[in-house]
Amino acid sequence: MSYAYLFKYIIIGDTGVGKSCLLLQFTDKRFQPVHDLTIGVEFGARMITIDNKPIKLQIWDTAGQESFRSITRSYYRGAAGALLVYDITRRETFNHLASWLEDARQHANANMTIMLIGNKCDLAHRRAVTTEEGEQFAKDHGLIFMEASAKTAQNVEEAFIKTAATIYKKIQDGVFDVSNESYGIKVGYGGIPGPSGGRDGSSSQGGGCCN
Amino acid sequence: MQEPELHDLSDDADYAASQQQGSASMMRCDRGKRSSSSEPEGAEIVYLKDNVTIHPTQFASERISGRLKLIKQGSSLFMTWIPYKGQSTNARLSEKDRNLYTISPVPFADVRSIRRHTPALGWQYIIVVLSSGLAFPPLYFYNGGVREFLATVKQHVFLVRSAEDANVFLANDFENPLRRTLSSLELPRAVSIASVPSTPVSVRESTSRENEERTDVGVRDENASTSRYNGRQRQKVHDPARDLSIHVLEKFSLVTKFARETTSQLFWETHSNGFDTFERTNTNQSVLDYNHKVDEDEELPVKSPVAPDPLELERFQVLCQDHPMPTSTLVKQKAPYRKHNHDDEAATNVGTFELIDFKEFDKLSLVWGKPRQPPLGLEEWATFLDSEGRVVDSKALRKRIFYGGIEHKLRREVWAILLGYHTYESTYAERKYLRSIKKTEYETIKNQWQCITCFFRGMGGGEGGAKIVVLLGGFFHKPFVLRLLVAFESISPEQAKRFTKFRERKGLIEKDVVRTDRSLFFYEGDDNPNVNLLRDILLTYSFYNFDLGYCQGMSDLLSPILFVMEEESESFWCFVALMERLGPNFNRDQNGMHTQLFALSKLVELLDIPLHNYFKQNDCLNYFFCFRWILIQFKREFEYEKTMRLWEVLWTHYLSEHLHLYVCVAVLKRYRGKIMGEQMDFDTLLKFINELSGQIDLDATLRDAEALCICAGENGAACIPPGTPPSLPVDNGLFYSQQDEVL
Repeated sequence: MSYAYLFKYIIIGDTGVGKSCLLLQFTDKRFQPVHDLTIGVEFGARMITIDNKPIKLQIWDTAGQESFRSITRSYYRGAAGALLVYDITRRETFNHLASWLEDARQHANANMTIMLIGNKCDLAHRRAVTTEEGEQFAKDHGLIFMEASAKTAQNVEEAFIKTAATIYKKIQDGVFDVSNESYGIKVGYGGIPGPSGGRDGSSSQGGGCCN
Repeated sequence: MQEPELHDLSDDADYAASQQQGSASMMRCDRGKRSSSSEPEGAEIVYLKDNVTIHPTQFASERISGRLKLIKQGSSLFMTWIPYKGQSTNARLSEKDRNLYTISPVPFADVRSIRRHTPALGWQYIIVVLSSGLAFPPLYFYNGGVREFLATVKQHVFLVRSAEDANVFLANDFENPLRRTLSSLELPRAVSIASVPSTPVSVRESTSRENEERTDVGVRDENASTSRYNGRQRQKVHDPARDLSIHVLEKFSLVTKFARETTSQLFWETHSNGFDTFERTNTNQSVLDYNHKVDEDEELPVKSPVAPDPLELERFQVLCQDHPMPTSTLVKQKAPYRKHNHDDEAATNVGTFELIDFKEFDKLSLVWGKPRQPPLGLEEWATFLDSEGRVVDSKALRKRIFYGGIEHKLRREVWAILLGYHTYESTYAERKYLRSIKKTEYETIKNQWQCITCFFRGMGGGEGGAKIVVLLGGFFHKPFVLRLLVAFESISPEQAKRFTKFRERKGLIEKDVVRTDRSLFFYEGDDNPNVNLLRDILLTYSFYNFDLGYCQGMSDLLSPILFVMEEESESFWCFVALMERLGPNFNRDQNGMHTQLFALSKLVELLDIPLHNYFKQNDCLNYFFCFRWILIQFKREFEYEKTMRLWEVLWTHYLSEHLHLYVCVAVLKRYRGKIMGEQMDFDTLLKFINELSGQIDLDATLRDAEALCICAGENGAACIPPGTPPSLPVDNGLFYSQQDEVL
């Protein structure tokens, strides 16, 4: 299937916060609590449409355990977007955000769009991190923020798409040189070759060229 | 067909000269005839060439020169090649070994084909393939004379130039003129069927390094036209087995030739010729054009303009180096599309070997890993034991398991021994005794963390704990209680942290066991007791080896062990034994993993330098794409039963402690054409490797790994630093310090 752009995403965060479940909910629209724990990295992909353009998201779902950090760091390379996930019912997963962010800042490209996700918001009765804290952290670090639930699918679609929209806008604004794949963006056959032609193409093509 | 063929040869520039030489040889040989005992009675030597040499190894000193003769007796033509006596002084091959290569008179009725190689640079050589499927090693004509050899054969034997390859001559010694005609009709067709481009192209590609680019291209064109011409003419049925084997055997035989030019680079030089080939080919062909081809012919990796796989040449070379073989048992082909037939293999002093992978014969991987055997069963197992239950010959047992694995119902008993929980020398009684001792020991350790967990839950830690510890004293080993006491009386921040750590680990383990193999019946469903056992064993282990603790991946390693052992304490101790070796995989700093990934990169460099260079150029030398393979021993790459099979094979340490690394190389080699052909970058490669999960053929891979391990030999072992897991650490402090006691 052709796409205008391919964005590489990486999902990071402590183990057990629901990274794989978020991915599965997004790609397969289902919740599977007994999914095998992630060793190394797993992949998912889905097509979305932004501004009438088909965009393929290639999502890297990483292992969360501290021991694997040195390996995980190599996955940041060339990611256009990151979902940084914590579990609103486990305080420590929120406390570790800074260290995840530091990794991301150090190993990803500077223009990577980061979405902070407070997962498991269906478990409000066990909440250990308030929405305001999440918002504040995001604000302090220049991240987009959402609370979501991989179980109920609440905000899952939105989180992935909003991240993509932000990246897309950056392309439109000429922030990226899309011909340079280290930004985590590949131009597909239906895409616009190069940042200069971006704006015009987006308003007139209407996605018709991509089928 | 006959006409143009004769013309074809007569057309050769040196044909006339060769005729003259031929008669000269004949005269010369007539004189020598009486002195030679190897020639049949009443025979006439029609061709003789000195300094025809075979190259059993890459070492110039080990080449064996000899005399090639064509002898006519009655209406039959025979070929002989006799090595000169007492030729070299320092050769590693003994006189006896050298004589193994002797070609005693072979009637041309038994010859299927002759391939000639006349490179622009280097020596001319021929490869003779018999209709039985055996191929002689390449015969190098140091003094030239390939054409006159063929011309002479042509005079006495019906020889047809292959439709597929102008350098292949098919021999048929039919007396009946009618059959002769029929055969000339059938053969080219047969060959053209086998002309799936992979085989001949791959043969040429492997040799392309020795030839000038020009020559190579020229040969291709010639073949193409011949093939088209005959394709139109010939309609008869074919025998793919026959045709295939010609190419395969020649390819195999070629390996020595190829080895001569390349092994020095492979093994001793730092720069790579192989990669140059790859680059050159790429520039010759646009990427677009190439990608298109790959899409069309995904299953024909040999067509890809990737650097040739040095695997085959190494195999042959090593084989020759270490195990000179009798002439007539070099290789025997297996029929394609046929299931394994254990009888269908060639026995040599190296063991049995054969060509496999004909299911997808275009891949033509040449392997002499032994065919897999059925798993070790109960009756056979009994034969390995003496009356008291000792394993009499542990090496024989390990070998048996290496080649076939173990029947499931026997695993419980044998795994405990393979893993080193029980020794090979232990008797039934000793094992029973150890089991009971260890059961108590396990319960003790388990109680420790259970009590402490309860205690901390109740007391919140701190001073009051000391009293409880004293009360508990009666249940525990004294040193442990003393240390516990000290810890509780003055809980230092460090120790408090340790307990925090333990609680964190507990939480992690609880989260992970419910995400381990839950689709398997054994672990399926809510409140599955086996899931609780996983948790308890892992927790006990994290207490038993507090420094290492728990890390993700351990549950994957424990799961099959519990599945096999069923019993908690037995599973725990087998897991402990496994972690003795694999523990470093889970070190905080990942040094155990990095050591193995590094060793893997060295092995690939040794066994496939073009692939190594490809990874190097694409910044993939960290081999992180093999991380999961190594961390949990391919557990996620195979289905459950296959994983258990692989593990028991790995645990035999039969050929190497590090067979798993050769398994990695084997899988990479299987997909090298695709990896290099599609120019995968790190991301694509990682994804590709991940998605191989469930796609890898275990038996074939094990055979490849075995062959690679044999090929690599000591050079391979030298790639793997001492102490690389699963070797036991060279020094206890190197990877982690294991503690039997805690706190």
